[in-house]
Order: sequence, then structure tokens, then C-alpha cells
Amino acid sequence: MESSILDLIGVEIIGVMSPVSICMLLVVLIVYSLSPSNPFSAAPAPPIRTAANLVYLESPSDSTAEKFEGALLNALVFVIVIAVVTFFLVLLYYYNCTGFLKNYMRFSAFFVLGTMGGSIFLSMIQHFSIPVDSITCFILLFNFTIVGVMSLFSSGVPIFVRQGYMVALGIFVAAWFTKLPEWTTWALLVALALYDLVAVLAPGGPLKMLVELAQSRDEELPALVYEARPTVSQNGIAQGRSLDLLVGGVSESGSVEMQTVSSNNLDRNESQNRVNSGYNVIQDTNFGNMEGVQRRDEVERSQLVGFLEERRSSGSSSSEYSTVVGNRDSEIVADEERSPLVDAPEMRNGREQMRDGQENSEVSSRGIKLGLGDFVFYSVLVGRAAMYDLMTVYACYLAIISGLGCTLILLSVRRQALPALPISIALGVIFYFLTRLLMEPYVVGTATNLMMF
Amino acid sequence: MTVAAGIGYALLALGPSLSLFISVIAKKPFLILTVLSSTLLWLMSLIVLAGVWRAFLPLKSTTWWPFVILILTSISFQEGLRILFWKVHKRLEDMLDAFADRLAKPRLFLTDKMLISLAGGLGHGLAHAVFFCLSLLTPAFGPATFFVDKCSQLPFFLVSAIIALAFVTIHTFSMVIAFNGYAEGNRLDQFFVPAVHLVAGMVTLVNFARGGCVVGIPLLYLMAILTMLHCGRMVQRRLSENRS
Repeated sequence: MESSILDLIGVEIIGVMSPVSICMLLVVLIVYSLSPSNPFSAAPAPPIRTAANLVYLESPSDSTAEKFEGALLNALVFVIVIAVVTFFLVLLYYYNCTGFLKNYMRFSAFFVLGTMGGSIFLSMIQHFSIPVDSITCFILLFNFTIVGVMSLFSSGVPIFVRQGYMVALGIFVAAWFTKLPEWTTWALLVALALYDLVAVLAPGGPLKMLVELAQSRDEELPALVYEARPTVSQNGIAQGRSLDLLVGGVSESGSVEMQTVSSNNLDRNESQNRVNSGYNVIQDTNFGNMEGVQRRDEVERSQLVGFLEERRSSGSSSSEYSTVVGNRDSEIVADEERSPLVDAPEMRNGREQMRDGQENSEVSSRGIKLGLGDFVFYSVLVGRAAMYDLMTVYACYLAIISGLGCTLILLSVRRQALPALPISIALGVIFYFLTRLLMEPYVVGTATNLMMF
Repeated sequence: MTVAAGIGYALLALGPSLSLFISVIAKKPFLILTVLSSTLLWLMSLIVLAGVWRAFLPLKSTTWWPFVILILTSISFQEGLRILFWKVHKRLEDMLDAFADRLAKPRLFLTDKMLISLAGGLGHGLAHAVFFCLSLLTPAFGPATFFVDKCSQLPFFLVSAIIALAFVTIHTFSMVIAFNGYAEGNRLDQFFVPAVHLVAGMVTLVNFARGGCVVGIPLLYLMAILTMLHCGRMVQRRLSENRS
């Protein structure tokens, strides 16, 4: 029995969603097990002062207006700090200080894994009374950290390890962020979502500049980015295309003329239309769908239209690299902000090249990439929700995941780097407050009377 | 120990659907997406309902008729939403078929369509269990338990987990029945589903009487078993028709 169509669709979406889910789940568990509400850890820790609350230190006795104002100020300052640091990093990248940037990333990863991770491990050990002596613990932590640092920018490390460390970094930073006071957290999340929107989409935004710079240079960004790579490289062409095709189906489902062509290469026609409308005539002569046939056709065609083809393939190869995105603009002292950014490679162009049979190395650079900042701030939102109730956690989780799904679908339509924070954070915040204010009394009221439906 | 109890309650409510998820759904990414979106839809319906009812809450737990109205409105709203969900699902099927044609793959099999409806139903059921049982379970992990007056035989968490299990079953399989009914134009199935949902909701009203849960829960399980049997028979019939 042939594999049905259901097996093909959505692989890359799940490939991104599952690490995000794992990250959120672990952060919620950490928040739950280490939250001061349990009787063993007595007094809450004194509030920490960081770049995220430079201006205003929230205390429970303040009035709402004071808290609100202070939280806004904090968020503003934090965003400004991040913007300045990002510009600085872009400047460094512009002047080709890639080595410095990479080492800086390594150092910060070392710092995060060693200190933040270390402190989380320590409190775990204390909380669960794990019998470990300090020397063993130190050696283990050191090894863990060193492997993490090495896995960042070297190609020799299995991708699974690298993904694991990315998720671990996200978890540590997020768990640390949940220690911020409540109002500041919300203001910060909203402010970052807005900043993300501006930085990625507005002309002259730092992240947009960074992406374009990397495009024009054909190199990978020295950035902390999660890559959902293995699924693509293992299963090859079909999966890389599926999201693409599905979205293609959405966009063209209304147009009847496309349907009547009734050949297997509708999608190809469509993509060619976008690339160069002049290809239509030639494209219509392609009717097979077998890859082998395709390739032959492609060769023929490239002979026919050599000039155009060449021009186009050069164009696509440059944009192929451009897909590497994400980035990270962070500052250790000012905590870590990792560039909230999603990017998908131009699957269409990648596909073209693959059919041309020229690309093997490039296949490995495909796959959706998600900036580590998105991991962090999704998890911060969920972790903050976990401090209220489990109900809000579920609602926020669903909202964030659906926001991520929307962003990914948008990505395959727009084919450019997109900010991943705004939709998800907006949905998450809305659902949090709706759940907290509206749903909880309703559900608790009916369920405690044992009434369900 | 209490942690074990909490996990036990959670697994009692969600265990069957968890195994269903792992054995059937998790292999096909598209089905996972279906589960997620259907869960989100149910959550949104709950939020809308809660928003409408917010003004009247909290209801006094001595009078029972407001609860009847609440359950009636909630169930009718959700059944209306099911029709909407069916329309979306129908369009999705067409889209997938068009997509399959383009890839020169076979169109959706009957089993595929049923899997999609199963995933949709599972999403509804999961959302129910998560919001009505799991989210109230936090205190169960602590060093105490909680009894409600009206059903003092069992801890509250255990009762809610048992009820949630019944509802997960009903939601999961009634979605399969409903979608099949819509696809075939079978009037009986189309009305069977809201009827089961309504009866199940009304049966929980029995819990309102003191000690009523001793009667209410078996009745509820009767509805769940009825749904499962009907679904099983229907799927068998469709499959054998399809094969011949």
C-alpha cells in the first residue's frame, strides 16, 4: 500500500513545534518544582536586579499605577539596551569581525550553561536532596558546559546534540527570566514582541540589516539558531516540499484556470510564474512528475533557455544562503536576548537546484530555523502562566503553538525572514488574561459541582 | 506518595487517549496538527461561553435550574461549532485531494478521512479533560485531598477524572460518527451525536443530588459505551462496504 498523503504534510511544522513544546514543558516543570510555594524553601529569594529591571524594582506593596508605570519603564529600558547591543553586533558583523562574534557567542554560551544552568542544577540538587559531592558535580557541570560550547559552531557534532543544547540554553535563560516580577514580565514580553516586529520587518531594522548582510555575503550568521534539519535531510525532497505545496494549494484553490491545466506540474508552473513569468510556455511542455524525467526536462530546458536559467540559478543560490537567519543579539550582563526570528529557506529555489542535480551540500543547509530568543520568550510566557494555574498554562501553550503555526504558514507564503514573536506572544497574552478572568470561574464553578459537558 | 496519586488521576483521565495518541496520531504529523487545532477550537468555544456566562457567575450551588440552562446553552453552542468544524474539514479534504493529485499520490483513503475525524475528536476530548480535570488537579499533588459534599464516597479528583474519561471517550468517537454522518448524509447519525452529548451533559446533573454520583457515573459510562459501540459498528460497516 502506498503511503498516503497524510504522512507527508506538516513534517517541518512538527519539527519546529516539538522542540518548542519540550522547552516549554521543561520550563514549566522547573518553575513548578522550584517555586517557593512549597513549604521547604521558606522565604522567597530577594529580588534580583538585572538589565530587565534596571529602573524599577517591583514590590508587592506598590499601587497598581506605580507597578504599571515601572514595568513600562523597565521594558522600555530593556528594549533600548537590546537594540543598542544589536546595532553594535550588526556593526561588528559589517566590519567582518566574524571571529570575534563567534567567540563571543561561545563565551556567552559557556557563561549561560555554566552559571545559569549550574544554579538551576544546584537548586534541583538541593530540592530533591540528591546525594552528589561537590567535586563530581563540578566535573559533570564542566563537561556538560564544554561539550555545549563546542557543539555551537563546529560541524563535527551530531545535529541532535546541537539541538539539545539549543533547547537547554533556551530552558536555562527562560527559567531565569521567570524570576522577574510579574508586571515587568508582561510588559517585557509585549515590548519585545513589538521590537521584534520592527527589527525584522522595518527597513533599517537591525535584524533585517543583519539578514541582508548575511545574504549578500553568502555566509551563515554567527548566531544561536535552532535548526530543524534532520527531517529534511533524511527524507529528502517530498517533505521539503509539502508545506510549500499545501500553501500553494491554499493560495490557488480559488483560481479555476490553474485547475484546468490538469497536469502534475501545477505547482511548478505557479512557482515559475513567480520567478519569471516568461517560463510559462516552456513549462507547459513538462508533464511528468518523476524526478528522473524532471531532471532530463530540466536539462533540456536549461539548454533552451540557458541564459535565463543561469541568471535565475545564480539568483536562487544567493538567496539559498540567505535563509540562514536568526541571530542573536545579546549581552551577557544585560541578559540574553536571542534574536526572535524565524526563517525558512527558500524551498522553491532549493527545489529547483536540487532538480538541476547540482546541490548536495546545500541540501543540508535547508530546514526551518527558529531563533533561540523565540524559545526563551515563549517559555517565559508559559512559565509565568505556570505560576498562576495549570489552566492558564494549557491555554497559553495552545495559543503560542497556534501562533507559531500561523507564523510558519505565513513564512511559506512570504518567503522572507519573519519575526516569530509577535503573533504568538499576542495570542498568548490574550489567552492568558481571558482564561484567568473569564474562564476560570466558569470552569471551576461547574466542575466543582461535578457538572461537565 | 501524593505525587503518585496526582499522576494516577491524570493518567486515569488521559491514559486511553494518550495511548491512542502515541499509537495512531503521533506517526502522522498532519494528525498532530489536527489535534492541536481542534483543541484550540474547543478552548475558544469554552472562552466564549465563559465570557457569556461570566456575568451570572458564581452560581449558587443550591438551586439546580441555572445549571440546566448553562449546560443546555453550552452543549448547543458546541454542537453548532461541530458543524462549522465539519465545513472546515470538508474544505481541507478537498485541498488535500488536490494536493495529492499534484504529487501523483493516491487521494485520501476512507481510513485517512476517519483518522482525521478521530484526531479532531481526540482534540475535543483532550481539551475537555485538560480543562475540566487536569487543570483542577494541581492541589492533588499536594499533601491533602478534597471531597465535595454531594459525592462524599470518593475524592473529588478521582470523581472528576472518572467523569473526564467518559467524556473523552464520548467526544473522541462522536466526532467520527458525526463526520461520517455528514459525509453520508445520514440523518440518524447527525442527530445521534448531539443527542448523546446532551444526554451525557444532563446525566451529570444527577450529581447535583446528594449522593447522586453513584447513579450518575454509571449512566454516563453507559452513554460512553453506547457511543463506542455505535462508532465501532459504523466503522465496520463502512470498511466492509468500501472493500466490496
